[in-house]
Amino acid sequence: MPVTIVVPQLGESVVEGTVGKWLKKEGDPIAKDEPVVEIITDKINIELPAPAAGTLGKITVPEGTVAQVGQQLGVILQQGESLPAGGGAPAPAGGAAQGSGGPQRPASPTQQSPQQRPQAPPSGGAPSRQPEPARAGAAVAEAPFGEDQRVSPAVRKLLKEHNLDVSGIRGSGLGGRVTREDVLNHIEGSRVAAAAGTQAPAAAPGMQPGRAPSSPQAGAPQPTKPIPAPSFTAPGTREEEVVQATNVRKKIAENMLRSRHMAAHCSTWDEVDMTRLVELRARMKERVKSTYGVNLTYMPFILKAVVRALKEFPVLNASMSESGEIHYKKYYNIGIAVHREQGLIVPVVHDADRKTLLQLAHEVEDLGNRARSDKLQLNDIQGGTFTITNAGMFGATASTPIINYPEVGVLGVHLIQERPVVRDHRIMIRNMMTLVVSFDHRLVDGTPAVQFLHRVKELLEDPESWLLDSI
Amino acid sequence: MNPPIAAHDLGRISYREALELQRRAVATRAAGACGDAIYFAEHEPVLTAGRGGQEESLRVPKALLRARGVEVVPVERGGDLTYHGPGQIVAYPILALADLPYGRDLHRYLRDLEEVVIRTLAGYGLPGSRRHPYTGVWVGDRKVAAIGVAVRRWVTFHGFALNVDPDLGHFDWIHPCGIRNLGVTSMRALLGEAPARAEVLARIRDAFASVWDRPVVEEAPCLT
Repeated sequence: MPVTIVVPQLGESVVEGTVGKWLKKEGDPIAKDEPVVEIITDKINIELPAPAAGTLGKITVPEGTVAQVGQQLGVILQQGESLPAGGGAPAPAGGAAQGSGGPQRPASPTQQSPQQRPQAPPSGGAPSRQPEPARAGAAVAEAPFGEDQRVSPAVRKLLKEHNLDVSGIRGSGLGGRVTREDVLNHIEGSRVAAAAGTQAPAAAPGMQPGRAPSSPQAGAPQPTKPIPAPSFTAPGTREEEVVQATNVRKKIAENMLRSRHMAAHCSTWDEVDMTRLVELRARMKERVKSTYGVNLTYMPFILKAVVRALKEFPVLNASMSESGEIHYKKYYNIGIAVHREQGLIVPVVHDADRKTLLQLAHEVEDLGNRARSDKLQLNDIQGGTFTITNAGMFGATASTPIINYPEVGVLGVHLIQERPVVRDHRIMIRNMMTLVVSFDHRLVDGTPAVQFLHRVKELLEDPESWLLDSI
Repeated sequence: MNPPIAAHDLGRISYREALELQRRAVATRAAGACGDAIYFAEHEPVLTAGRGGQEESLRVPKALLRARGVEVVPVERGGDLTYHGPGQIVAYPILALADLPYGRDLHRYLRDLEEVVIRTLAGYGLPGSRRHPYTGVWVGDRKVAAIGVAVRRWVTFHGFALNVDPDLGHFDWIHPCGIRNLGVTSMRALLGEAPARAEVLARIRDAFASVWDRPVVEEAPCLT
C-alpha cells in the first residue's frame, strides 16, 4: 500500500511549516529513515525521514509552500505499486479542510488533480473533520483500519469526500477490495450517466446547482440585437509573467518607500537657459577628449554649480536624525543616480568641492562605468550628502525625484532642448532645461529651496562668472 | 542519573570543517554509535545562510566579502543570514531529540538553547532576555546570541553563537537574521572588558547541565 509522508507533530506551538527542499525527486528510490524533505519553521529546519522504503511516487506539496501539521506532503510507493490514474494523491489532507471553511489553510488548488476538482461537493458533503495529526515522531499517516476492513484510509477518505457508500461500488482489488481507482471510476461513471440522462447539470450528484445558466425572466422585453463586438479585439488571454523581484529591486523599493515615509517631499522647479554652457562645452569637448581621454558631459559643470550653491544654502547639504539633531555637513559628497539593467544605483563623488572640472568629469565617467559593470566598492555608494539625478538622459523634460533619504535634497536635471523663450520683448530660440529640486520640507523651508535652485540656475546660465573667484 | 552529554572544544576551526564534523556526528548519533554531544568552536569570519536565508539581508556586495576572504556558506539550519567570527563561542549540540524529556518539541528545544545563554549571561550579571517572536538572546534591545537549528533523523545540529568579544563592525555586513532596527552587542561591549573564553565556556557547560539536568563531561569527539 502506498505510504504517505505527512508533516509530523513538531511541538505544541508548531502548527505549520514551509516545505523547504525536496531531497528526493519523484521516482527516486528511498530507504527507510532516509531524509526526504525539509520542513522549515522560523528557526529550525527539519529533514523528515522516510516512513518506509520504496520509491518517491508523488510530491503533493511543492517547495516553498506552507503545510499544516498532519498535511500530506508526498507518497512513497512500494515495489510493484503505481500511482492511481489521474496522478492524484491517495489522501489530500488539505482538501478535507476546504469544505469546512475552518481556520486551517487549504492546500493550494494546484495540489489537487484537475479530475477531482469539479466533482468536489461545494459544501456540506465534505467532512469537516480536520486531518488527524500524526503522532509525535511518526512521519506516517497510516490510520488504523476502522469499521470497514475492505478499504484503505485513502479510499475511505475519498468515499467520505464524495459522500459515497462503499457497498455501492464494485471492487476490483485483491479479494474484491475497492481501490481508489474503483471509486474514481464510479464517480466518473455516475457523472457521465447523469449528464447524458437529463441535460440538467444540477441533477448530477455533486455538481453545483448554481452553475446552470440563468434564463431571462419570462415577459421581460427581449433584446433583438447582441452588443456588436469590434472586429479588432483578439480573445484576451490575460497573460501574466510572474518573476521574483531581485534583491537589488527589493532594496531599491525599500529605500524609496523609506524616503517617502520619512521625508516630507516637496518639489520646486525653474527653467535654465543652458545656451552659453552648451557653447562652452562644445568648444572644450574635443580637446578634453583628445588630451585627457575623458568625455566632457554637462554633469561636472552641474556638480560645480551645485556645490557652490550648497555652500551658500547649507541646509540643503544637511540631514536630520530621528532624535532631532541636525547635521550640517561641511563636506560635499554628491551622489549621481545611474541607471543600470539591474536597477538604479547612486554612486557618490566624494569631496566634490575639492576637485577640478576635469577630475569630476573623469570620476563621473568612471563611477558610471563601474556601476554598470557591477564593480562599485562599498565606499563608492556611501556617505552621500546630496544627490543629482539626470532623467534627461532618456528624454524627460521634467520629473519630481525622490529624495535619497536621509539626505534632504535631490536635484533633477533634464533634457536640454531648443525652446522659444521671450527675452526683451522678443521671442528667441534658446537651449533650455528644466531644473527641479525635491527637498525634505521637515528641515528645508521653501525659501532656501527656491533660492538654492535659483543660485544653481544663475551659475549654469553664466559659467564665465565662475572665473571671478577661481583665478 | 540522566545520561551524560560529551562536551568537546574544537577551538579555532574553519566553518566548513566544523560543518562537516557536525554532519558526521549527526550520522553516528542517529545510528546509535555515539551518545549526545556538544561541540564548541570559534570560526574565522564567515556568513552562513540558513534555509530562510534572504540575500537582501546582505548589506554589502558579495564581491567585497570575497575580496576579504569571507565566504557565504549555505547551510541546512533554519533562520536567515548569520555572521560567525573570532570572539564568538559557537555551540553545536548533537542531541537525539527523542531522548530529551519533552521529546520532539522543537520550539521547546529552541527555548532551552536560549535558556542556556540566559543562564550563562546571568553568571556575569547580564540580564539576557527573549524577544518574541524572534529566536535568540538579547540584552536590552541588542542581540547577544544568535540561534539556528537543524534536525536530521531526529538528531539536532547547528546551535547558537554567543558574542563574547567579536568585531561588532562585521555585523554591519548583514541585517542579522533578517531583523532590522535591532542592534547587535557582545559581552565585552556590555561588561566593558572581554571575559576569558575558557571561563565563558565553563559557564556554558554548566548551564547546559542545569537546563537539561544531565552531567556534561569533557570527552574527545565520537565520530566512528
